[in-house]
Amino acid sequence: MTRVVVDRERCMSSGICEMEAPEVFELDDDGVLQVRQPADVSQVATAVRACPTGALALVD
Amino acid sequence: MPTPTLDAIDLSDREFWGAPPDQRHAVFDLLRRESPFAFFAEPVIPYIEPGAGYHAVTRYADVEAISCRPALFASGSGAVSIADMPPDLNEFYGSLISMDDPRHGKIRRIVAKAFTPRVLEKLVGNVQAVADDVVALARQKAGGGDGSIDVVADLAAPIPLRVICDMMGIPDDDRAMVLKQSNVILSGGDPELIEDEEYAVTAFLQAGEALARLMTRLAAERRSRPADDLTTALVTTEVDGERLTSQEIASFFILLLVAGNETTRNAISQGVLALSEHPAERDRWAADPGLTRTAVEEIVRWTSPITWMRRTATQDVELSGRSFPAGSKFLLFYGAANRDPAVFADPHRLDLARDPNPHVGFGSRGPHFCLGAHLARREIGVAFRAFAEQLPDLEVSGEPARLQSSFVNGLKRLPARLTGPR
Ligand code: HEM
Ligand code: SF4
Repeated sequence: MTRVVVDRERCMSSGICEMEAPEVFELDDDGVLQVRQPADVSQVATAVRACPTGALALVD
Repeated sequence: MPTPTLDAIDLSDREFWGAPPDQRHAVFDLLRRESPFAFFAEPVIPYIEPGAGYHAVTRYADVEAISCRPALFASGSGAVSIADMPPDLNEFYGSLISMDDPRHGKIRRIVAKAFTPRVLEKLVGNVQAVADDVVALARQKAGGGDGSIDVVADLAAPIPLRVICDMMGIPDDDRAMVLKQSNVILSGGDPELIEDEEYAVTAFLQAGEALARLMTRLAAERRSRPADDLTTALVTTEVDGERLTSQEIASFFILLLVAGNETTRNAISQGVLALSEHPAERDRWAADPGLTRTAVEEIVRWTSPITWMRRTATQDVELSGRSFPAGSKFLLFYGAANRDPAVFADPHRLDLARDPNPHVGFGSRGPHFCLGAHLARREIGVAFRAFAEQLPDLEVSGEPARLQSSFVNGLKRLPARLTGPR
């Protein structure tokens, strides 16, 4: 099943993905990105494209 | 308007940056088409040794290609000045934005914790209250006189300044000083704001020192008595067991003032101007609050308040089939990329419903992407809704006074009137 993955080296906690898809992404109190896998990955397509560091990817 | 010719263009000429936007966009259209890496000699600044010159990058794809490869195109020798920064200026102005990894990543992750969407959510009420208050004061000022206000001083400047000062917990008594010194820093040497160009560097240093003193004092107070503000978060946050030093906090505060305050101010003031020039778009937004999300993006694209950031090649590099030696400087012209017809249909049209709108007003892809992008979006959206609802009679009544700066696309004044209910 297609899933969304975060490259921890690249993510710099900008929160842009959270603004696009708050049901899926959330920066916790330590600024670490938490991901709730969406039932439908089309929900996160915009967030994946918007990530300024290219830290998000969809993998099968 | 005379048609520009390639040989006559000099982006280092201060006069060019006081010209109306239409003229500047015509020049950038020409550069983008004919000479997308045009080379210019560096502007002359007293007491600073000019370097070898820079390339003006005007195509969207090239801006992105440079921005997303920070190891090849570094920020460390200066992102916000064309000349390499002298070390004593670097001390105050060389925070975050002019850093490279690994230091950049570390500091960025510390400050990012204080800027998450959830932290911001707590601020929403605050932004709304600030905007309502500023609008009421403008109304009061207009009512007490002949209806005139200055959009810059009475509407656009106070909103982001108060939001940042509230976030940082700056005492009321210090705020006038903060506004004055941040104006000096952002003047880009504009003769009206720095009286004597010879002393521009000294004025910069003094402004930096005054702000640094304030922040050092405040940081010390928060270490002993924590409060619910960003300063407290900055003095207490750790990443990999490391905390920011007082010096780093002071530099970061200066960066926030400059990067967060003046940019948002200019997006608001020039947004007001753009809407007055496009009354059909203004009416459309006034009638439809649902347009706010896309309208805010279009205002940032349209105004592109930060004109450029600099990157420097760390080794010999190739871009769009051309080679550049190590040490080459590139200015990423965001306003030009934001009008690139290869990406934006009908780029010189203001379209508040434009979607998608992948503008690079907050920077292009890469690790330096604007830390305050959500805050700025929120401030701009709240401000324009407050204007639409509470100042429907706002009318621009005179010519804007433009800041003569290549770095900040800004207005010093924008005369307007509140005509009152009719
Ligand atoms: C419309 C308003 C704004 C615009 C147009 C804007 C634009 C930019 C641009 C172009 C960059 C550089 C990106 C790069 O080098 O790749 C940047 C970085 C930055 N901005 Fe903004 N900005 C705005 C509002 C804000 C606000 C409200 C804040 C904070 C309160 C802020 C804080 C910063 C910081 C700290 C950086 C440096 C990030 C880094 O180097 O890692 N900005 N901004
Ligand atoms: S948008 Fe990218 S960099 Fe920002 S928090 Fe999400 S994954 Fe991290």
